[in-house]
Parts: sequence; structure tokens; C-alpha cells
Amino acid sequence: MRKTVSKSQWKVFKALLDSKQELSTPQIETISGLEHPQVAATLTYAQEQGWLTIKEHLRKELILSDSAEDQMKKGLPERQVLPILAEKGRMPMQDMARIAKQKEIPMGDIIKWSSMRGWVKKNKGELIITDDGHEAIDNPDADEKAIELAIKSGPLFLDQLEKHGIDPARVNKLLNKRTSLAKIKERTIRLAFLTDTGRKILREDIKIIKEQNILGPEDIESGEWKNIKLRPYDVTLEAEKTYPAKIHPMQKIIQQTRKAFLEMGFKEIVSPQAESAFWDFDALFQPQDHPARDMQDTFYLTRPSEAKLPHDKFVENVKQTHENGWKTGSTGWGYKWNLSRAKEMVLRTHTTATTIRALAEDPNPPRKVFCVGKVYRNEAISYKHLPEFFQVDGVIIDKDASLATLLGTLQEFYRKMGFKKVKFKPAFFPYTEPSAEAFVYMESKKSWIELGGSGVFRPEVTRPFGCKVPVLAWGLGLDRLAMLRYGINDIRELYWSDLDKIKEVPLCR
Amino acid sequence: MPVVSVSVKRLNELLNKQYKMHVLVDALEQLGCDVEDTAELGLFQCPACQTPNDKLEHEEPPKRCDFCGHESEEPFVKYATDKVIRIDLLADRPDLFDTGGLSRALKGYLELEKGLSEFTVKEGKIEVNVDPVLSQKETFRPYIACAVITMPPLDQTSLREIMRLQENLHWGIGRDRKLSSIGVYDMGTLTPPIKYTTVDPIKFKFCPLGMPGVQMTPQKILEEHPKGVAYAHLMDDYKRYPILMDANDLVLAMPPIINSDETKCKINSSQLFVDVTGITQDAVINSLNTLVSALIELGGEVETVKMNFPEGPKTTPDLSPKKINIKFEAAKRWLGLDFSREEFIGYLHKMRLNVEPKKDVYEVSYPAFRSDIRHEVDLFEDLAIGYGFKNIQTKLVPSLTIGEARKEEELSQIVREIMTGLGFTEIMSLHLQSVERHFTKYQMEPGKEHVIIKNPKTIEQKVARCHLMTGIMETFYKNHRKTVPQRIFEVGNIILINPEMETGTNEYRHLAFAIIGPETGYAEGRMVLDSVMRELNYKGDYKPVSHPAFCQGRCAEVTGDAGLWARAGEIHPQVLNNFGLTYPVSYCELRLVKVI
Repeated sequence: MRKTVSKSQWKVFKALLDSKQELSTPQIETISGLEHPQVAATLTYAQEQGWLTIKEHLRKELILSDSAEDQMKKGLPERQVLPILAEKGRMPMQDMARIAKQKEIPMGDIIKWSSMRGWVKKNKGELIITDDGHEAIDNPDADEKAIELAIKSGPLFLDQLEKHGIDPARVNKLLNKRTSLAKIKERTIRLAFLTDTGRKILREDIKIIKEQNILGPEDIESGEWKNIKLRPYDVTLEAEKTYPAKIHPMQKIIQQTRKAFLEMGFKEIVSPQAESAFWDFDALFQPQDHPARDMQDTFYLTRPSEAKLPHDKFVENVKQTHENGWKTGSTGWGYKWNLSRAKEMVLRTHTTATTIRALAEDPNPPRKVFCVGKVYRNEAISYKHLPEFFQVDGVIIDKDASLATLLGTLQEFYRKMGFKKVKFKPAFFPYTEPSAEAFVYMESKKSWIELGGSGVFRPEVTRPFGCKVPVLAWGLGLDRLAMLRYGINDIRELYWSDLDKIKEVPLCR
Repeated sequence: MPVVSVSVKRLNELLNKQYKMHVLVDALEQLGCDVEDTAELGLFQCPACQTPNDKLEHEEPPKRCDFCGHESEEPFVKYATDKVIRIDLLADRPDLFDTGGLSRALKGYLELEKGLSEFTVKEGKIEVNVDPVLSQKETFRPYIACAVITMPPLDQTSLREIMRLQENLHWGIGRDRKLSSIGVYDMGTLTPPIKYTTVDPIKFKFCPLGMPGVQMTPQKILEEHPKGVAYAHLMDDYKRYPILMDANDLVLAMPPIINSDETKCKINSSQLFVDVTGITQDAVINSLNTLVSALIELGGEVETVKMNFPEGPKTTPDLSPKKINIKFEAAKRWLGLDFSREEFIGYLHKMRLNVEPKKDVYEVSYPAFRSDIRHEVDLFEDLAIGYGFKNIQTKLVPSLTIGEARKEEELSQIVREIMTGLGFTEIMSLHLQSVERHFTKYQMEPGKEHVIIKNPKTIEQKVARCHLMTGIMETFYKNHRKTVPQRIFEVGNIILINPEMETGTNEYRHLAFAIIGPETGYAEGRMVLDSVMRELNYKGDYKPVSHPAFCQGRCAEVTGDAGLWARAGEIHPQVLNNFGLTYPVSYCELRLVKVI
């Protein structure tokens, strides 16, 4: 069967058939009048067919900067001052600097380039001209000659310099880092040469047909497409990048957390971020002189400055529990509880304020509730800490609630959060007894990471609100989890978003 | 939180065993200690007070003493290295602050000893006379408790342990010396009886720790001595300063600032006098009991001291165990564990507690320093630790409960779907802001409906947000070198004052979205807002409004049923300037739902 080639492909082959010798890609482009991608695709296709061979070699091309001609006309900085230096033989740096200033050329350039050329030496704050320097006064250096040549005859390759008596190595050395003057760019040159088979087939066995980039509706409808060849593409080339609009990485963690709780049968709850000290501290049996309540650690509010408290029974029970343990079986803290301190307004320091409110609202088992929300600590912004972060808290009010069911629930929760290995160790927290810390194994870090505290609420916390069964509670900070998961070292990156970075985090992570 | 370094060699010495590091680390973790890491320490001696200072191997040698504050030009001389386990201190358990206390707990957990540690306290002869003036307002530091301890002659190790524990108790119980502070002295330098009184800050003089041969007035110490400068704030309300002196007016200390140099503990000191002074009785007694009990573990023998208070004499320390009743069945239920009565007793013994069966309860005796115990559940925790957290068979509660999401969260998820579908990328920004970033830059001022913070560390956290503009504008600035147009949104809460509410505020869930680019304007924002409202089935009417953050004549407010509210418009060029932006911004904010 005869091979079909398109009209434009034929232009490439014809150029090669006519020339009888190897041709470079740019040469083929010039002869055929085709664009580079088309030529390249045709050559690749023909190479696969065994019609031609392609040799590649690297050449260094000299490309002048836009200002190169101007610079040469004025004389390069080091050349402008060379005769002055030659006259004196040596000269203090300051003098040279003054001359440079007069001529409005950067002193740094003079020193850098004339040293590199070997025209001067520096010694104790003086510039001294060398023999090479003297000689150079009337003789342009290799790069200067090369640039003049390029100005006259257009872009050239370093390997063409030798026949003009210019040392290509020196040109390369002098211009390699002097991009303000010229660039040395490495180019891969592809040379194509028809094989004997290729020559034979192209001469004798070819059908040339019409070709198009795309088919129009009339081509498809009329059946004309049968006579049209679609130009082949290089389907392996990289495509432009495009991203979907996304939700924020932190949001993904929040939603994953919510999903874990909802799937485990928890009801979602909410409470005010501006909270009374009563719910944030007192209800959790935190004594009023506890360091966490210091101005140092907690944001207090000027407006609103005072909260209303819940109904008197709760307040009275909490007061008694702090003072003498009330009916909780505890000794209490043994101090005089102060109502006005409980009315102070704070920005909540933990979402346990949310769960204890839910417990007070309905202490009857079985209940499982959770919340995700912002919490606040009076800290300055740094790469490690922010004064606000997301926290999740969950509680289980149940007659079967116990340390063993706490650890079982946590294990399940962390599994849903993507951690297969979880272990626990005892811990000490002010309002739970016993308390446990969960450690999860992070594959990416190859280590155990402490991720959240938990425990069984002390009776001093639950009894004042009429709860008669044990209550399990746990919480963790989500920002830290986000930092670990996305490998973020600076927490600020999460909240002053680089949009490109948000786009790049895959949705599956 | 302070970190304490526990020497493996020293710990094994006290346990009289040769445990490997990892065995000790595991046991400490199972006891509830926060093991940070293991390391090698260099030990350096302070040339002034002789106390060893330690530094990690990779750290610079010290030039300033942690204990007396002495500073020298040359780094201190290193005399040894030591393998240590580094532990984050637990504020609730000061009895686990030092090698002595940890060894006591480990002996139980590793089953080398069981039940209560025996503490014998001999009756001593030393008396302390307490000046009534210390109960008065201008010199209020009325509580004092003391003890005399005879130790094996102190060497560098035990001296360092004592100083370190003292510092840590200052942190853990004393709230950085505010509630209580401790002094330890060489009894050999003292002539009893001791008096606890006050002195004039300008006229009196003594030689503070770390400055041998230098006499300073208390006031000068507060101004110049490193420890004085660090703790001067504790003396703000004092007209005269508390002082401890012996019968010959030799100063022991000026609590809570500094000890004197002449009465300090040194290498080879053996009989030690300990005092704790403070402003709460509990902190003073707990500090003394914890310190003395730890010194007993290090080989000390204790004698009592009699304090003559204005209201009568009192003798300390009292290390007799305290008692609490716990119920066997309640413990099993609370922990969800199954164990026999014998095992139950065994676990408590492991935790260094004594147990006595009484009718239907068990009477547990616990040491005087366990100030964390106020309810039987505190003992349940000890029981669980004795049982071993790693041996716990975990399970789930069998009750069925139904999961249920909050309405505003479900709504927000739909909104996120709409917004990403419209090509907007989500951002999240901080709720706390400065007045400038939240109001001034929009030509606005905080009003009586806005939440104001009283005590922020920096002005950046002065207000809680009442709109979502700042996160949007600052994100545009952060990305101002990237290609435009950019389309972003945020869904989050804002807070407004409402005196009717229990805690004085309402919270609303808002959506904000914006477009920046050369071609954008009111029409594009309006188009998107209409689209969002259509998807949510919100219906409202647009009316022109003027708002300082928006261009005059290009800002609208939408109102409708069920509290619908939105604002849309082109951001004012002055506001663009204020945020460093150079393209127009079309901005909309929509109230989705009231949360609180």
C-alpha cells in the first residue's frame, strides 16, 4: 500500500530529497516555509518510519544584548579607563572611583572585568596595570572582536570563530557571566539525513493528500473528512497547567474532622466565641487564680465587658464546688469564689467551653456532641504561633463511658482522620481524670506525634450541671495538624494565602 | 514549660539497678511524664556559687549562672558530661520534678518497692520567730514553713539537684515566686533562733548571692542584681521588705528575691535549713512537703522547726500521710477495666499508695505532697497508670446516637460548592485584627456594635472582625505580583454586639467574594451575587447606598425576607491605595445565616 503524506509533510521531504545532504532543522524551516513544531513533528514521524536518521549536537550561540552595540560604540567600561591607568602605571582605588564617577560608569564593572581580563592587579588599595593591560590598549580582546563580528553579520556560533582567528574558549570565559553584554546559549542542533529506504519510498511510493489541523462541521457532515489527513501532534509534549478553583487546605481538614464525628453519630454544636469566664473556666473547675486565667494568656474584652450568667442553680452549684466540693465528693479548691470574676468576658480559650455548655443544656445520656471552632490565646503572631486557631472538641455522655471506651473512640476517630497507628499515654489535665494523650504515627515524618488531649471529666465539672454519668472529652488543635500534613513550617502561610500554593495542594491530600 | 534533665546514671544509682535508657524512658512515659527526648549534657561550674549549670552538648558553654545570676567574661569550666532523659514538667505533679521524686515513683512502677514511702521526721530544736508586721497589707507575706535536713555531704550532683528542684517548685507551685518561694541554707553558718521580719529597703544592707564581699541595700539589689531585676515586680506593693535573719542578724534571705551569699549551701554542706515563705498557706506547705520528701529520697533526714506566729506556734514539716476512701466497683466502672480486688490493691501499691479495706470501701493513704488529690477519681487515675495504659483493652460505647450537622455548616458547604464552581478560590483569614487594618484603612471607625479586646499583646489583636473585607484585601496584596484577574472568597463568622444576649454578642456566618483585575467592576460582582442568591433561593431588593469603603454611586445593599442582607460594590480607590493595590476590586459580602 502506498504511504500517504500530507502536503506540508511533503514540503519537508522535498527539501531533503533536493539537497542530497544533511539539513538542520532551521534550514528545513527556511526552505519549506513551515513553522518549527510542524517540521519537528514531521521529522519525528519519518524517523519512526525509518525514512531518515537524526543526529543531534550541541552548539554554543552568541546572542548580543539589546545594548551591546551601544556599549561597544562607547567602549566597554574597563577599556575606557585603560589608557588613563596605562599612563600612570598604578593608581589608588579612590582615584579610579572618582574617574568612574565622572565618566558615569560603575566602579564595580571596571574592577571586575579588567581583573578578569588580567589587565590589572589589586595591591594594598592600588590598581596596577599588567603587561597584558599595556598590550591590550591597541588590541581588542577576543570577545570584543566576536561581538563586532556578530554586529556586522548577525547571530553566530562559537565554533565559527576559529576561522576568523578568534579564540572561542576566551570568548566563552569572558562573556559567560556578562549577560548585560551578550549571552552564550547552548542549542541542540538536529541534523536530518534521508536513509536509502526513505529516499526510495519518498521518490516512488507516496500519495500526497490534503491536511488540516481541525475538521470543520461541513467536513464531518459531508464525508469530506475521508480525503483529509489530520496533522499528527506530538502527544507526548507537556501541556499548559490548569487548576480547578479550590477550597482552602485548612478547610479540608475541618471538613474531614466534621465528617469523622458525624459518621460516628455525633451531633454538631456551637457556642459564642466571645464567652464568659464562667463557661470558659469556672464551669470546668478551673480555680479563679489559675495561671491560664491570667491577662498574660487570655484575651479579656472591654466590649462587651460583662456577661449575664446562666440560671442561679448552676452558678450556685459551681461556686460551692469550687469552695468546698459541694455534693461532688471532692474537697473543692478551698477559696472564696468571686461572682464578678465569673462574669468577665473573654475570647474563649478552648472549645471545651462549647461542650460544657451543651452538657449543661442537656446532661441526659446517651449523648454525643462535637464542635469545630476558633479559640484564642493572648500571644503575638510568629511563625510558630498565632493568637487564634481552630480546635475540635467532642464529648460522650453515657452510662458506659469509661477510660477504655474513651481510648476506643479516640482510636476510631484518629483512624478516620487518616492515622492507622495510634497509641496512648497517661497525661495530666486540669479538668479530666484520668487523662490521656494520643500519639499518632506520621508516615511522612517516620515518627510519633502528640496530637490532642483527652480524658474523663472530673465529677466537679459534670455534677454541678446535673449530669450523673461519666463524660468523655477530647480535643485537638487543627492548625498544627494542617502544618504537619501540608509540611508547612510557617503557620502564617495558612492565613495570608499565596493563591498559587492553594491551587497546587491536590484536593486528595 | 520548664524541661528537667534527669541523669540516667544518677537515676540508676537511686534505684540501685542498671536499667537501659529505653526501659527508663518507657516507664517514665507510662507514669505520665512528658518525655521530650534523650540527650547528652555538659556540666559547668559557676565560679561564684559553685553550683553546676548544664547545657546540651551542642549549646555554647554558659557565662551566666542560672542560680545566683553571676556573670563572667570567660565561659564556665566544664567538668563532666552526662546522659540524660529530658522531661517537660507537669504543673500538676511537682512531686515528679526531680530525680529523687521520679526515683520514688519508678521504684513502685518497676516493682522494686511497693506502698507508701516511709518518712520519719524527728523533733528538732530550732525556732523561727515571725514578726506580726508580715500580716499587714504593706508587707503581706505572712506564711512561712521550715525544716532542717541532714544530708550526705553535698557534692556537685546533689547541690545541682536541690537548686534545680527549688527553681522548678518556684515555677510549679510558687507561680514564679508570686505565691511562694524557697530558700535552702547551710545550717552550719547560722545561729538560731531565726527571725522572719522586715527591713527598710534603703537603709539596710547585706551581701546577695553571687556577689561575695559586696554589701547592697535591698533597693540596689532590685535595680542591679540580675535576680533582683527579674523579680522586682513582686515587691511593687511593699513599703518594707521581708527578711530572714539569724540570732546575730546575719541575713539568710530577702524573700522572694534572693538569698545571702554568706549563708548559702556549698559543696560539703551537710546540715541544711529550708524555708518557704509566701502569700498562700497551701503553696507554702506544698512546696515544703515536696522539697523535703525529695531530699529524703536523696538520703536526707528531717527535723522539725517550730514557727512562733503571732497567733501561736506551729511545727513543720508534717509529712504524715493523708487518707481518702475509694470504691472498688466505682473504680472499675469509671475505667471500664476488669480486675480483681487483689489486682486492684496491687496497682495502688505500685503507685506508692497504701490500701486498707474498710466495710464497703478502701481507705487509701497517700503522701502529704500529693496536693493533686481532691476526689476519688484522682486515685482512679493512679489505678489506671498502675494497670498500664498499654494494657487497656479499648472498646466503644454501645449506645446508638444519630449524627447531625449544624445548619450553617451545611449551608456553608453548598456555598463553597457554588463559589468554586464559579471559579473562586477559597481563602481563610484571621478573626482578630488591628483597628487600622479593620477600620481606618476603610475610612471607618470602631463603633459601639464592635467587640474590643482589653489586653492584647500587640495592637494587631485589638478588635474581633465585623466584616470580611480585610482578609480579601490582604490576600490580593499578598498576590499582587501574580496574573490578574484573581477571584477569591471566604466563608466565616463575624461578631457584633447585642446587649440582649447572655454573652452580649451575635455571630453571623458571612460569605465574602471579590474579583481584582483591570476589567472588573460592579456588574461582574453583581452577576456573581445574583447567581449565588439564585442557587440559595434568596430573594431581595437592591438599593443604592453610600459606604466609605466603596466608590460613590457604585455600592448597593440588598435586603429581603428572613433577615437577608448583602452589600456589593466597587472598592474605593483610596482603600485600594491603603492596601497597596493597583487594579479595581469588585467586592460583595452576603449574610448567610445567624449562628448565635
